[in-house]
Amino acid sequence: MAIRHYWPMAAAAVGFRLVLVLFGGDLHLSSRPEVSTPLTSLRRLAEGYWLKQASMSPYSGSMYHGSPLLLSVLGPLTSKRSGGHHAHIYCSLVFVAVDFIAAMLIRSTGRTLQVARGKSLKSLDLAKSVNDPVNASAGDTASLIYLWNPWTIITCVGSCTSPIENLMVVVMIYGACSRLAPLAAFGYVMATHLSLYPAILILPVTLLLGYGPDTPPAKVFLQKGLSASKVDISDIGKSTSQRGFGQISWKPVLHFMLWVFIWSCYVLVLNSIILNKAGGLQEMFEKTYGFILTVKDLSPNIGVLWYFFAEVFDFFRSFFLIVFNMNIIFMVLPLAIRLKHRPCFLAFVYTAIVAMLKSYPSAGDSALYLGLLGLFANELAEMQFTFFLFFGYIGVSLLSPVMHNLWIWRGTGNANFYFATGLAYTCLQTVLVVETVSSMIKHDRKLRLLIKT
Amino acid sequence: MAFARREHGPPRPALLFLLSILPLLVLFTFSSAAAPPTAASPAALHNNNWAVLVCTSRFWFNYRHMANTLSLYRTVKRLGIPDERIILMLADDMACNPRNNYPAQVFNNENHQLNLYGDNVEVDYRGYEVTVENFLRILTGRHESSVPRSKRLLSDEGSHILLYMTGHGGDEFLKFQDNEELQSHDLADAVKQMKEKHRFKELLIMVDTCQAATLFSQLQSPGVLAIGSSKKGENSYSHHLDSDIGVSVVDRFTFHTLAFFEKLNMYSNASLNSLFNSYDPSMLLSTAYYRMDLYERALNEVPVTNFFGSVMKTIHTDSAYTGFLAAREVETPLSMRNNILGSAVLQDEASTRRLMKEAQLRSDGWIQILLEGKNSDTVVMYGLGTMGVLLAVSTWLSM
Repeated sequence: MAIRHYWPMAAAAVGFRLVLVLFGGDLHLSSRPEVSTPLTSLRRLAEGYWLKQASMSPYSGSMYHGSPLLLSVLGPLTSKRSGGHHAHIYCSLVFVAVDFIAAMLIRSTGRTLQVARGKSLKSLDLAKSVNDPVNASAGDTASLIYLWNPWTIITCVGSCTSPIENLMVVVMIYGACSRLAPLAAFGYVMATHLSLYPAILILPVTLLLGYGPDTPPAKVFLQKGLSASKVDISDIGKSTSQRGFGQISWKPVLHFMLWVFIWSCYVLVLNSIILNKAGGLQEMFEKTYGFILTVKDLSPNIGVLWYFFAEVFDFFRSFFLIVFNMNIIFMVLPLAIRLKHRPCFLAFVYTAIVAMLKSYPSAGDSALYLGLLGLFANELAEMQFTFFLFFGYIGVSLLSPVMHNLWIWRGTGNANFYFATGLAYTCLQTVLVVETVSSMIKHDRKLRLLIKT
Repeated sequence: MAFARREHGPPRPALLFLLSILPLLVLFTFSSAAAPPTAASPAALHNNNWAVLVCTSRFWFNYRHMANTLSLYRTVKRLGIPDERIILMLADDMACNPRNNYPAQVFNNENHQLNLYGDNVEVDYRGYEVTVENFLRILTGRHESSVPRSKRLLSDEGSHILLYMTGHGGDEFLKFQDNEELQSHDLADAVKQMKEKHRFKELLIMVDTCQAATLFSQLQSPGVLAIGSSKKGENSYSHHLDSDIGVSVVDRFTFHTLAFFEKLNMYSNASLNSLFNSYDPSMLLSTAYYRMDLYERALNEVPVTNFFGSVMKTIHTDSAYTGFLAAREVETPLSMRNNILGSAVLQDEASTRRLMKEAQLRSDGWIQILLEGKNSDTVVMYGLGTMGVLLAVSTWLSM
């Protein structure tokens, strides 16, 4: 069931962004720590571009820490000024278009997931017995959430490069769901190149390409096959081979690996051409990935690493860097084992974990996973704590700038005020991840129960 | 129907928590077994020169001590040590002394050819500030926090320091301001503290007083070279009397030292050996005694500009500041020094730079081939365009 007035609402979201971009010159969102981080700030990109044009390394002076490709694409746009509008207006227009493309890709991913879900429910003869309270079109819901989420709007208008990173992740997921290996590989290579953390999404992408989109777990199919007494083996074979049923198809995966190799070579060649006169690839890796992993810049953001690393002793610094990165890596395998039948949902959980524990989180990361959350609106319909989460997010997004103001501008608060909102935000995200995973598993168990009866 | 399977809801956070504890435990064992960072560093390179020039006498008839110190100040400045690295201590003011016939001028020769007190003389300690306490504070670096940086000896483990003292001295002492004295064991103690705190790499002490050699008889720190104008029991004499000014204007030892240095410029590599051998006892009327037992290097290999001048090795780069990697080419430094240590270091640097250059050439070579004659920006634009086209075509083909 598609959402009525979908296209008007989508167009209104784009129009709202254009209004903010063209007439919202005083918002100064790019100076807010929640929006722009040392990795994504457009001001730093402009500085890096200027340095590159002056035949110096764009990484000198530790201002710019992003990809050289972004320098070539967005750099010339940052230097064009038009009077009366805010500084990076052309880049913001590009970001509005990028957001719209991402929303459309999310919509078609939702369509694919919906079709797969319908197919699997029909094969289990559950299409009528599963009474979904909300049988909305997942794609429409998710793309509207993505477009109208205030965090996405702020990210889009706020002169940071997060929309492009989010687009690459969405491209990767869309390509994987639609079994388009070159597209998925392109999205994966670009997303990993722009920010390091999407590298862990290789697991869900391989699972998506190998097994196909989200399905109920294999047990359910096994039980379905076993409980029917007069079942034709050829029927089972025909119905289950359509969705893999534990049989991984290697061809798309190998295709994907080949294209990953091709795209990464291409990207590396382009980067070494761009950085020809400057430090070269080694400097690029040191200043982008090295900067992300060693957390050199401790300016406040909505994450938890800055506060922690400001007070840790030097002797233990590398130990705690390893611990924080291990926290992400250690979640990868168990979640993959438990949720391997739902790779798209796995990708969503990974993006949420990364948004929580990455070294420089921002509102853009939350925008991504909140948009992807909408894709699973049907399965997660019975999630608990939704009231708490919803108003928690609103509360944190209102209090966090207030505490920042109290701390920095008025001086009546201190860092602990701001960090408390960061902690509350991390707590909310933890609750979100835990609750979504448990409600997804409950949904699968409900399906199994329905099969048994 | 009862299920044997557990609830997956509540224990899940506990499971995640346990899983995150595991790497912590592993890393604790590793970190406790990790060795502490080594404190030992390799021998430092010589990279700066300092001069501490001390004149300890007051009163008009000790004009020559002031002239000694100012002559040496002029020499070390001429040979390259900047004012920031010279500490000049003058116990009295001769230039503006009411008895000076030539106000604001100090000469070290009766021909009055050289005015030592020009307009770029920077005196750091003057008059009553020249005390034994301040002198020892300079050497050991233990100042009150209010002492400005221009009055501190800010040397490090790569410094060569020239310490020149002149005035009235005797057996194992040097008189300061006519009312206190610096004893040889005080000086030896201060030098020992300097060595412990790595405040110098090499130290040359030059003393022009009576019985000068006794002042450094108690020294035991390695890396110290000392020369005095006379031995124990001998006096050091002034060179000549200037009848216009009315007092002696220079001492013999310093006069011959200056005569040696006037022949040199910044690029000379005359050795310390030739300096020390230039002292003729019959001209000095005393024996210039030096002790080199604490000094490891051979004197004929050490150029005098290691202490009396300040010659920096410059490495020419022809590209702008690249920020990360240093210049691709290393040209030979501007002045070829005979410094063995310096050349060894230079060879190491040159070889590492050559390796880096070769590695880069190997990887850049094919980039250069790609970029022959074209602007890299346009190549990148074409590359990005091709990437987009390739993406579209491959996606369309695999649909």
